[in-house]
Amino acid sequence: MIDYSALKKAVIDGDDERTAQLVKEAIEQHADPADIVTSGLQAGLVTVGEKFSSGEFFIPEMLLAARTVTRSLDIIRPLVSDSDMITAGKVVIGTVVGDLHDIGKNLVGMLLGGAGFDVLDLGTDVYPKRFVTAVMEHKPDILGMSALITTTMPAMEATIQALESASIRRQVKVIVGGAPVTQHFADQIGADGYCSNGGSAIELCNRLVGR
Amino acid sequence: MSHKARILAAAHRQAVDKLPFGARIDVWYNYHCAHGTLPEKYEGWNMVDILRDQGAGVQVRHMRIWKLEYDNLEVVTREDPPYTITEWRTPVGAVSLKTVFRPEEGSWIVYEVDHPFKSKEDYPIIEYIFQNTRVVPDLSEYQQKEKMVGEDGIVITGMDMYSPMQQIMRYWLGYERFFYELHDHPVQVGQLYELQKEVAKKKLEILGESSVEIPMLCANWSDEFHTPVFAKYFSPWLREASDYLHSKGKVTQVHSDGEMRRLIPLFLETGVDVAEAWTPMPMTSVTTGELRKAWGDKVTVWGGIPAVLFEPQYTDQEFDTYVIDLFKQIAPGYNFIIGMGDNLPFDGRIERVGRIVELIDKYGSMPMKL
Repeated sequence: MIDYSALKKAVIDGDDERTAQLVKEAIEQHADPADIVTSGLQAGLVTVGEKFSSGEFFIPEMLLAARTVTRSLDIIRPLVSDSDMITAGKVVIGTVVGDLHDIGKNLVGMLLGGAGFDVLDLGTDVYPKRFVTAVMEHKPDILGMSALITTTMPAMEATIQALESASIRRQVKVIVGGAPVTQHFADQIGADGYCSNGGSAIELCNRLVGR
Repeated sequence: MSHKARILAAAHRQAVDKLPFGARIDVWYNYHCAHGTLPEKYEGWNMVDILRDQGAGVQVRHMRIWKLEYDNLEVVTREDPPYTITEWRTPVGAVSLKTVFRPEEGSWIVYEVDHPFKSKEDYPIIEYIFQNTRVVPDLSEYQQKEKMVGEDGIVITGMDMYSPMQQIMRYWLGYERFFYELHDHPVQVGQLYELQKEVAKKKLEILGESSVEIPMLCANWSDEFHTPVFAKYFSPWLREASDYLHSKGKVTQVHSDGEMRRLIPLFLETGVDVAEAWTPMPMTSVTTGELRKAWGDKVTVWGGIPAVLFEPQYTDQEFDTYVIDLFKQIAPGYNFIIGMGDNLPFDGRIERVGRIVELIDKYGSMPMKL
């Protein structure tokens, strides 16, 4: 039985060299790659998300931890088949039409990817129709929309209405976030979830997929 | 007292006759002008006259009172609609910036889509650009706006929006890459900071000699981004800049419309006089009462009404209740300028600007007793 506490700590510290070294050592000790991912990398990232939500950590720590996990996953990925990679669920994310801000959205994508979600990032300035097409094509569990300026927030509601018009609203959970977005607004437009910060996205998505 | 006199007095922490109000509506105005959807009454009006009609003090933005010119390098700009590409061609290499400007979405500034710094090979190029930058006074447009606003409010301008390290973060590297680079190449990032600081000092000298009353030193903070670098990079610079501008008889301000909870205790180290665009709950986690308790009378606060309150999702009754509760939190009301956090949204109700004026007339005589 391998002790993953050191690996988890290296992720929390955002120390990608130490993390890569510990991942390689675990592989040499014939650890199950799935265990390395869930008990080491993802466990560390979940802690980072919790520390961010509690106010102990800031975005730089989250960025470094997410980068650390992404780089270590690149070491593990060649060792396992796609079907053996544990996937928490599929998430499509994007910044809504008219809005080019992407830091929060990128961060959520990195954190969810590190936490085991299969993330498809549609980028910025995404029209409702494109969200709908992506949901039809990729059948995600969750659709996440971001907006930073008040002018673009109505595009979130328009996207939800477009999902309804396409009769696929019930196929996907919709979450929203961004500086001007509030729980009040999320409730008003009929979203399934709201994140006040990137760190809480992992917890919210886990809850929505029943993890 | 005029709107301008009230705002300036509050910024200098001096007595006022009633609660000052400096309203900002450029997002709303730009959006509706671009879409031809201004209210019928205001068709063809300029923004200042609309605010005058509402009875509010005016807040107008102006980006800078200088031009940047360069020695020993070429700057080439080309249009690739909707983008503008700016390339700096230096003897040590070239970097390029891709921006987009969307006034039809209410914006008054360009947005950086692709930043000049792409890899660590770009450090010497950007260093070269900073070393060969000249700052040349250019006040004519600012003075026109100042004349247009007159005693009815303030034209806000300052450091191109960002302090030296935030210039590097936001403009040259981009936020995400900045934090990776600060972790991976701290010496090189530190060198860029020192060079950008020299450029910023030239801007400060121009501000110091200008008629700008409350120079804006920094903008768009959010505590989850900036707290880790605030004490090391932001605070010493803001202290230096504020001390210099104080010696010129001015007070200073920063644009603080983001989440401020963990920056609140650090703010007092900066020497900055005014926290403009203060945005409380529900758009951030902090109430105005908490902020006042933390800062006391050391900082003048400008703002207090979150943008979302102007939207139709809040009823007129909810709006009134929020504003009156704000008055209670800030009573007796000194060192406070009512304003938006940070703007009237495109779907905001312009008549609520006038409603604030009515509520100030009813409750805002100093000292406020609620």
